[in-house]
Amino acid sequence: MLLMLTAVAWVALARPVSAADFSPRTNLVQAILSEDLAEQTQLIQNLIGAEDPMVQQALTAWRGGSVYIFETNDTKVPFLLDGTIDANSNAKGIRIIDGEPLKDADGRPLLFVTTDLTPADASSKVRKLIKVALDLFALGNANPKMRRDAITKLGQEQNADYLPHFEARTKIETDKEVIQSLVEAVALTQVASEDAKVRVAAIQKLGEMRSINSVSFLKQIETDARKTPDKFGPETIQAAHAAVLAIDSYMAWGNLFGTAFRGLSLSAVLLVAALGLAITFGLMGVINMAHGEVMMVGAYTAYVTQNIFKGWFGASGGGFDSYFIAALVASFIVAGLVGLVLERGVIRFLYKRPLESLLATWGVSLLLQQLFRHIFGAANVQVSSPSWMSGSYVINDVLLAYNRVFVIGFAVFIVVGTYLLLTRTSLGLQIRAVMQNRAMASCVGVRTDRVNMMTFAYGSGLAGMAGACLSQIGNVGPGLGQNYIIDCFMVVVLGGVGNVFGTVSASLGVGMTDQILQPWLGAVMGKITVLGAIILFLQWRPAGLFVTRSRSLES
Amino acid sequence: MKSFKQSFLALAAGVVMTLTTHAAETVKVGILHSLSGTMAISETSLKDVLLFTFDEINKSGGVAGKMIEPVIVDPASNWPLFAEKAEQLLAKDKVSVVFGCWTSVSRKSVLPVFERMNGLLFYPVQYEGEELSKNIFYTAEAVNQQAIPSVDYMLAEGKKKFYLLGSDYVYPRTTNKILKQYLKSKGIPDEDIVEIYTPFGHTDYQTIVAAIKKFASAGKACVISTLNGDTNVPFFKEFANAGLTSENCPVVSFSISEDEFRGLPAKDLVGHLGCWTYFMSIKSPENTKFVKDFLGWVKAPKVSGIDYTVSGVDPKGRVTCSPMNLSRMGVYLWKQAVEKAGSFEVDKVRTALIGQKFKGPAGEVTMQENHHLVNNAFIGETLASGQFKIIKTLNGVAGEPFSEKFLGK
Repeated sequence: MLLMLTAVAWVALARPVSAADFSPRTNLVQAILSEDLAEQTQLIQNLIGAEDPMVQQALTAWRGGSVYIFETNDTKVPFLLDGTIDANSNAKGIRIIDGEPLKDADGRPLLFVTTDLTPADASSKVRKLIKVALDLFALGNANPKMRRDAITKLGQEQNADYLPHFEARTKIETDKEVIQSLVEAVALTQVASEDAKVRVAAIQKLGEMRSINSVSFLKQIETDARKTPDKFGPETIQAAHAAVLAIDSYMAWGNLFGTAFRGLSLSAVLLVAALGLAITFGLMGVINMAHGEVMMVGAYTAYVTQNIFKGWFGASGGGFDSYFIAALVASFIVAGLVGLVLERGVIRFLYKRPLESLLATWGVSLLLQQLFRHIFGAANVQVSSPSWMSGSYVINDVLLAYNRVFVIGFAVFIVVGTYLLLTRTSLGLQIRAVMQNRAMASCVGVRTDRVNMMTFAYGSGLAGMAGACLSQIGNVGPGLGQNYIIDCFMVVVLGGVGNVFGTVSASLGVGMTDQILQPWLGAVMGKITVLGAIILFLQWRPAGLFVTRSRSLES
Repeated sequence: MKSFKQSFLALAAGVVMTLTTHAAETVKVGILHSLSGTMAISETSLKDVLLFTFDEINKSGGVAGKMIEPVIVDPASNWPLFAEKAEQLLAKDKVSVVFGCWTSVSRKSVLPVFERMNGLLFYPVQYEGEELSKNIFYTAEAVNQQAIPSVDYMLAEGKKKFYLLGSDYVYPRTTNKILKQYLKSKGIPDEDIVEIYTPFGHTDYQTIVAAIKKFASAGKACVISTLNGDTNVPFFKEFANAGLTSENCPVVSFSISEDEFRGLPAKDLVGHLGCWTYFMSIKSPENTKFVKDFLGWVKAPKVSGIDYTVSGVDPKGRVTCSPMNLSRMGVYLWKQAVEKAGSFEVDKVRTALIGQKFKGPAGEVTMQENHHLVNNAFIGETLASGQFKIIKTLNGVAGEPFSEKFLGK
C-alpha cells in the first residue's frame, strides 16, 4: 500500500503540476490514463467526497463509456463530448482537466463524432469502484429518494470506511426518511464491527427499527455467532435472535397487508372490466362476446387521446398529464356510441334468440379486432402513464403503486355511480322495470326499445372506460379484449347473473383468492386452482353467489 | 415489313431465351415463417430479411451461378401446420433448402419431416438446446452463447442472488434448469435461486414484483428473465413502480431484441440488459452496410434476377436484430457450402457446411461439426431509443447444444 502511495505521489510529482493543482481533477485524469488496477483503485478512492461537479460528471461518463482519450504524439488527454451536437452530429471535446474545449493548432475547437471514438477502458472492477464513489456523491443528491437508495445500498456494503461520511451527512440532513436510512446504514455497518458492545447495540437498534433490509444480515450473524460463540459472545446471539424475531413478525404483518392490497387491486381490475358485462349480460341477458372488443375500443381511444394531447402540450408536463382524465371521458363516449350502433344494428333483432346473439356478437368481435389491426397495426401501441400515476406510496414497507390505487378508487366510483343510476334516476327505474318484466313495463308505457338501447350503451361505455383504465396496467393491442373476456364472464356468472352486487363480491372473492394462493402455488397453479374452485362452486350453486329471481331471466 | 418480321423474331427469341434461362438458372429456396397469427409480429421480420439476403446474393451472381427463387409458405403460428407446410416445400416445391421456424415447438414439429425426407433446415432463433438433427443447422444462440455469458457477467458484477423468471413453456423451463445447475456449480446456494413461471398473456405481476423486491432487499440480486413478448410490459411497469431499477436489481432478458422494442416501451427498460450474438449498434463496416442496405431495401423491396413480386413489407420503423442477422448468416453459409460442394444435393451440402466461415456484421462465424456456430456474444444495456449499448464482448464462443458438455458432467 505504502509503495503504491509513493508511486502515486511520484507520478504526481513527476508531472509538471504544482501542489495546489493536485486537485480531484488531476487525480481523475491520472486514474483514467492509468493501466494499473491497484493504482486506479487508490486514485478513485481519493476522489470520494470531492465536491467538483466536473469530477462527478466525468466519473459518470467514464462508467457509461463516454470518456474518450485524445492522443497526440506523446500526450494523452481524456475528454468528454459537449452536450450540444451540430448538424453533422459533431460535438466539441471538453477536457476533463480544465473543462476547456480541445483545440487544434490554429486554436479552433476540434469536432468529434461519437461513432468514430473509442471510449476509455473501464473494467467491471473499475466501474464498481466508480459506482461506490458516485454513491457517496449521491449522499449529496438533491433528490431525497435517490439519496435514500444510495445510503441503503452503501449500508449493505458494511464498509466501515463509509461511517464518517454517513455521520457527516446525518448532521446536515433534513429529510426524515433519509435520516432514518442513515441511522439504519450506520447500524448495519456497525453490525460487522469487531467491538461486541458496538455490535450488540447496533443489532438491537436494527431490531427496534424493524429494518427489513438488514434481516438477512442479522440472520447471517446469528448463524455465525451460534457456530463460533467464543468469538461473538452470548449477547450477540441473544440480540440477533430477538431482532430477527421482531423483524420477522413485522414482516408477516406487512405481507398480510400487502396481500390484502394486491388482492383488492386485482379485484378492482376484474370489477372494472366486468361491470359493463354485468349490465349487458347480467341485467339484459345479452351474451355479448364483443364485450372485450368494446374495452379495446376504449383503450385505443385512450391511445388516440394521448397522441392528441402530445400534439398540443408535448410529451410531458401538467397539460399532457391531464390527458388521462379526458381519455376516460372520451372512451366512455366512444365505446358507448359503438355499443349504441351494435345494439341498433345487431342485438335488437336477437333479444329472443340468445344463441344467435352469441354468434353474432362473436362475429362482431372478430370484425372489430381485424378493423383495429388494420388501422393501428398488429403490434401493440404504447400508452404512457401520466406522471401522477407512476411510482408508489410506501406505508410500513408495503408498496401501494399509484396506478393500482387509482384503479381501486375508480372501481368504487363506477360501482357507486351505477348503483345511483339504477336506484335514484328515472332511467334506472325504467331499466329495472324492463329487466324484471319487459311485457308489463311496456304495458305501463315504458319505451322498452329505448331503454334497451340506453342500457346497452351505458354498459358498453363502462367497458370502454375499463379499457382506458387497463391501458395503464397492461398492453394495448388488438388482442386486449381476448385477454379479459373469460375473466369477465367468470366473474359475472359466479356473482349471479342479473345482480350487480354479486359481480362486486365475486370479483373480490376471485381477486383475493388468487393473490393469497399465488405466493404458495405460483401464478400458473394459482389460476388453475381458482378456476377449479369456481367450477366446483357452480356445481353446488349453479345460479352463482346471489340468485336474482325475475321473470325475464327464467323464461 | 422485313424490319417488322425481324423485330418480331428477335422479340420471340428473346421471350424464349428469358423463359429458358429462367427455368434453368434458378434454385428454389423455402421460407417457413408464420406470416399470420400470434407469431407473425416476430417472424415476418425474418421473412423480410431472408428476401433481402436473396436479393443481395442474386445481385452478385446468385448461388453457383443460379438465381435464388423464394418459395414462401405461411404456417400461420399453427404447429401441426408447420409440418404440413414443410412437407409441401420438400415434396411438392422440391426446394433445396428451407429457412424457418421461430418457436421450439414449431421446430420440433417439422424435425421428423426434414429427417424423413432428408431436407435441410436453417434455424435462427435462440433456443434451449438438447437437440441435434443431421438435417438442421442451428445458426441460433445455444444456451452457452446467451444465458451462460449473461450469468457469468452478473456473477462478475458481484451478484449473489438470482431470480429466474420466465413464461411457462419449453424454452424458459429448459434454460432455467440448465442455469440452476450452472449457478450451483458456481457456488450459489439453493435458497438464493428462485425459479418462477407465469402463463402467456399474464398481466398481474404485483405478487411477483413484491417477491422480487423482498428478494433484492439485501442487495446483490438480479433477475434473469425469459418472459416472452408483451407480458414484459406489465412486468416492467410494475417493476419500475415498485422503485426497482437497473441499479438495485438489474434484469437480463433473453427474449427482447431490437425488433421487440417496436412494440415495447423502451423507457421502462432503460439500463436493463440483453445478451445476443448481434446488436444493431455493433460498429463494423459489415454491419453499417447491412443496416443501411436493409433499411433502404424495405422501402422498395424486390428480389433481383428473377420475376418475383415482394409484398407485405412494412417500411416503417424497421430495425435489425440477432435472429435477423442469424437468418442472413445461414443463407450465406449455405451459399458457400453449395459452391464448395459444387452441388445442391443435401448430403453433399451438409458435409461442405462443416467448417464454413463467414465474416458477418458481428464478426466471423464458423459452422462446427455439431451444426452450431462459433460466434461472438455481446452483452448490451438498453437505451431509451430501443437500441443496446454494448458493455461486454465475448469473442468466439462455440455453440454447444448439450448442457452436460458445458456443465462438465
